[in-house]
Amino acid sequence: MNDTFNLKRFGWLFKKTLLERPAQLLGLIGLILVITVLFYAILRYMGPWDVAQNGSFLIGFIGGGTFLASFVFTYFTSNASGSSYLTLPASHFEKWLCAVLITGVIFTSIFLLFYRAIDIAFVSIYHKALNPTGPFYKEMYEAINVLPYNGFIAGKAYMMFANFTTAMLVGALYFNKAAFIKVALIVCAIFIAGSYLNYFMAKAVFDNLDKALPYYAVFITVGKEFGKIILPSFASKAVDICILYIIPSVLLITAYVRLREKEF
Amino acid sequence: MIEIQDVSFGYSRKKMLYKNLTLTLETGTIYGLLGKNGAGKSTLLKNLIGLLFPAKGKINVNSFEPRRRQPSFLQTIYFIPEEVYVPSLTIKGYRNLFAPFYPSFEDEKFSQYLKELDVKDEGKLNTLSFGQQKKFIIAFALACNTKVLLLDEPTNGLDIPSKIQFRKLIASVMNEGRTIVISTHQVRDLENLIDRIIIVDNGSLLLNASLGDISEKLCFKTVSEVDDPTRVLYAEDTLKGISVVQENTEGEDSKVNLEQLFNAVTENPEMIKAIFSNTETLVK
Repeated sequence: MNDTFNLKRFGWLFKKTLLERPAQLLGLIGLILVITVLFYAILRYMGPWDVAQNGSFLIGFIGGGTFLASFVFTYFTSNASGSSYLTLPASHFEKWLCAVLITGVIFTSIFLLFYRAIDIAFVSIYHKALNPTGPFYKEMYEAINVLPYNGFIAGKAYMMFANFTTAMLVGALYFNKAAFIKVALIVCAIFIAGSYLNYFMAKAVFDNLDKALPYYAVFITVGKEFGKIILPSFASKAVDICILYIIPSVLLITAYVRLREKEF
Repeated sequence: MIEIQDVSFGYSRKKMLYKNLTLTLETGTIYGLLGKNGAGKSTLLKNLIGLLFPAKGKINVNSFEPRRRQPSFLQTIYFIPEEVYVPSLTIKGYRNLFAPFYPSFEDEKFSQYLKELDVKDEGKLNTLSFGQQKKFIIAFALACNTKVLLLDEPTNGLDIPSKIQFRKLIASVMNEGRTIVISTHQVRDLENLIDRIIIVDNGSLLLNASLGDISEKLCFKTVSEVDDPTRVLYAEDTLKGISVVQENTEGEDSKVNLEQLFNAVTENPEMIKAIFSNTETLVK
């Protein structure tokens, strides 16, 4: 058998990973979906549609996905399970691929399908509750639609999902215990440090700087006027490619190398 | 065959646990790896399975380099750690998910070992007692028929009948192509089971000798009075007199007492080194 990848062996590993801890793994996915519905309902009750849709989507997809990513390598919380996992006769690549597939493909597919279903349900309830003879029926009907998966919010969510989940995969291989909290703190610290660094760099360039958003725009004030300078489109595209593809790829490769070199 | 060549290992770079360790373990042999708590027994076993990597030197297990943890290597070796991991699965569920990874796994033998070790098929494995979980993993490991079997404190948590059964099972599964290394600090559990003894302390290999060599070189007996204290490696007062371990200069025939041997070796490593220095049971 090939020592890097064997389809039959990968099938055993995948089956084992899913069925070994079904209550935790499948239960966690179920819990994420339930929390998403609850958030949708609560936010819808409390505020406007866009907040409910965007909020529940971001919390469920990014929050849930990140938490799940920290879970797929939780074998290292104890000596016994860590040893068992690392000495199981499957290649590092297969073990890595298994974790990536569960987080990146299976969870993403289930979540997007599920979210579309609940989104359709909520939007349909809203549409049916409208009075077709009312004065603004058409406008009110057309104002609310399901969240487009190719829209701005979804695009940003994919970007954050790709970065946070891959960071969590790496972190779970570095921190044997409380990986989720540790990685979340590190990501927050990097984000805050990056924002301040960006602000001071922008301040060095612009005299009347109001605020600066990393890799996106700076806001300046000239007299009583307020202006926004955004990145040129070629630079913006380069940054997007870097955040969406290059950083997650580097983190995924790091996770693989770390798994290969992991001592326990 | 397992070859450890000039291996150094430490949990920190400043403090090495093993320094330039060289050791060869032959196939068809059951090794007893003895040492005090923290002597480095588990560390050595973890280096052999590839859970830890040596800082220097080479380890070769049946032509594989353990640190690469290739599937073709891992399916020929089974490591039972001191604390075993059993998921929330039934015996059948565990077998179905884990056994396919081991091409030489034998279902019939597995059932037989479970029966012999008196492992009850009562629901999920993680609800069983620690001893039952350990016996289950031992049965599974033996049924995998791997060429190398590494057991770290396997008798911890086992009751007396289970320890006896464990010794019987290990003896029954031994064959010419297999290497078994049992690490323990409970030396009595290995009596009548092992062929060779390895004793480590403070990261050093103090002894690697067969029981035959040991009984040829050392004498274990009970005396009323110690004649020549300079020859005595270890002495212990007992009800029948003084149990001593001393160099066997007169070709006396005695049964090796593992506990006393262990104490003799750890208390007098230099004398042991001198006694065993001219045999192939080299002490490094």
